[in-house]
Amino acid sequence: MLILKLAWRNLFRNTRRTVLTVTLIALSLTALIITDGMVIGLIELMTGNVTHILAGEAQIHRKGYLDNNDADMFINDPGPVIGKIKSNETVLDYAPRVMSGGMVTSSYNVAGSMIYGVDAVREVAVSKIKSAVIEGHYLTGGDQEIIIGGPLAELLEVSLHDRIVLTTAEASSGEISQALFRITGIFEFGLPELDENLVFINLAAAQRIMVMDHGIHQIAVRFRNPEDAKNRDNDLYKDIGNNDIEVLNWLEFSPQIAAMIEMSNYVTLVTCIILFFLAALGIINSMFMSIYERIYEFGVVMAIGTAPGSILKLVMLEALLIALISSVTGNIIGYFASSWFEANGIPVGEFEISSIVIDSGIHTRVVADQFIRYPIYIMLLTLVAAVYPAVFAARITPSEALQRSL
Amino acid sequence: MDNIIVTREVCRYFGSKDTQVKALDHASIEIQRGEFTAIIGPSGSGKTTLLQLIGGLDNPSSGQVLLDGTNIADMTGTTLSDFRRDHIGFIFQAYNLIPVLSAEENIEYIMLLQGIPAAQRKGRVHEMLRLVDLDGLGDRRPSQLSGGQQQRVAVARAMASQPDIILADEPTANLDSKTGVALLDLMRTLNEEHNMTFVFSTHDEKIMERARRLIHLQDGRVDSDQLK
Repeated sequence: MLILKLAWRNLFRNTRRTVLTVTLIALSLTALIITDGMVIGLIELMTGNVTHILAGEAQIHRKGYLDNNDADMFINDPGPVIGKIKSNETVLDYAPRVMSGGMVTSSYNVAGSMIYGVDAVREVAVSKIKSAVIEGHYLTGGDQEIIIGGPLAELLEVSLHDRIVLTTAEASSGEISQALFRITGIFEFGLPELDENLVFINLAAAQRIMVMDHGIHQIAVRFRNPEDAKNRDNDLYKDIGNNDIEVLNWLEFSPQIAAMIEMSNYVTLVTCIILFFLAALGIINSMFMSIYERIYEFGVVMAIGTAPGSILKLVMLEALLIALISSVTGNIIGYFASSWFEANGIPVGEFEISSIVIDSGIHTRVVADQFIRYPIYIMLLTLVAAVYPAVFAARITPSEALQRSL
Repeated sequence: MDNIIVTREVCRYFGSKDTQVKALDHASIEIQRGEFTAIIGPSGSGKTTLLQLIGGLDNPSSGQVLLDGTNIADMTGTTLSDFRRDHIGFIFQAYNLIPVLSAEENIEYIMLLQGIPAAQRKGRVHEMLRLVDLDGLGDRRPSQLSGGQQQRVAVARAMASQPDIILADEPTANLDSKTGVALLDLMRTLNEEHNMTFVFSTHDEKIMERARRLIHLQDGRVDSDQLK
């Protein structure tokens, strides 16, 4: 107990230095918590953009469909697949889709486009098409309904209720197929790649013009718990995937986002290493200054019988106390700072990553793990950084230390 | 003869060949249990070096240092630390005490190292404070004590571990002459009442007068050994 008291009081011999050291370590911890929260926020934003806007958390296609989006690679009889999806309790909902490249023609202009035939009811639970509609109304199942992106409408010089013609190919024969549609809604996801290129029509209409009967190209799936999408042991992947049909999660059908996430994790790691390195230098410097100031005193206490091991323990105990104070301080500052950034976002201007526009700041995420894992890292770092000064102190020779001027 | 300290032909050299300094040059002394001995001599005569060798704070270049028959030159590391803790008490010129601990805690510290139970420690702390006439000042930090009081706490700490020998390196050097003499009188009283062996260095003549035996060092050699 006296040793603990001694270590504690030693911290306040030079309060300013201790405060500076604690501040350095605490702010490093705060920076780590914010960086981690920012990376999690960024990843959530990116994955949310990928999975929740349109693509879903998993997709089911004919094997190889994603390689070149061949219209003839459709699932002719989706019934059994849908049956298996419905029986999977981890699935929140699913949305069957027909997709084909085509041409959109207005009275004034023509543009290439990706035509999505969607189930207007099921899509609501899987994608954000409905909520992206900014003008007119969402699909209701009508045969000639079409909703198009704002930029595409501008290009075609059309507005609500105008007529446009879709030209595509029949799925099996490849014959040209055309149909007239009336614009019932204008959407904007805020993602140029989608707003400039996509049009949505009702599933039945798409199946009709592409002569697919009940066939579909894709089923987008949304899970109750998004983490289930990454679990390849989920029955959805095992039961449905076979030689002809593949089930891919978003990490697999959006490898560029998966790569971005991996890179983000490296960013955290590199930030961690840099902060740890700087903090470690600060700790070593501070501990050495503290030891140099006390060399004579160490000489005295060693002379009266303090073993080198006890000196080592004392210095390590001082480091542990610094680490504890820093961790508590860093956690408190980190919590409030990260919570503030979670609510208000970190202003980073407007930028685009993999066609995802970030213009409302990066909102950090406050996760309990950050307040356990990083303080433990910080404490371990502090103790590791203190080993060198502690060993130095333990190796002090009393006779030499006693000759030091005071 | 109960010799507690014996040095035989002890030499201590510092530096290498060309710049070698002989701090001690074949110094041999014998001190009996319960003696009150002053090692005297001018600055650079080897007083501190001899005390450090006797206290196991340094190793001789040659010769033997025997404490109660044990050659401490053979000891290293924790064994040596433990030996010092249990057998030798130290008093230095100044800054003897741990500044962040109170007088009581400074005295208790050495007993904590010895593993003495808390209740026994507390009792002995109060006894030591009474012996050095610092009753009521135990909760004061060193900075709240005068130089003389600090040295008395150092004496109390040195005695608290109940060592065989107390070595004091110029304990009065930083004190005014009156306080220095008072400290020596205290040490002398403790020596007489508790039969504790005291060896101290000094070059202050008033302090020398209090010693029973004077070992005079000159250029690292024992120049004279006078029993009063």
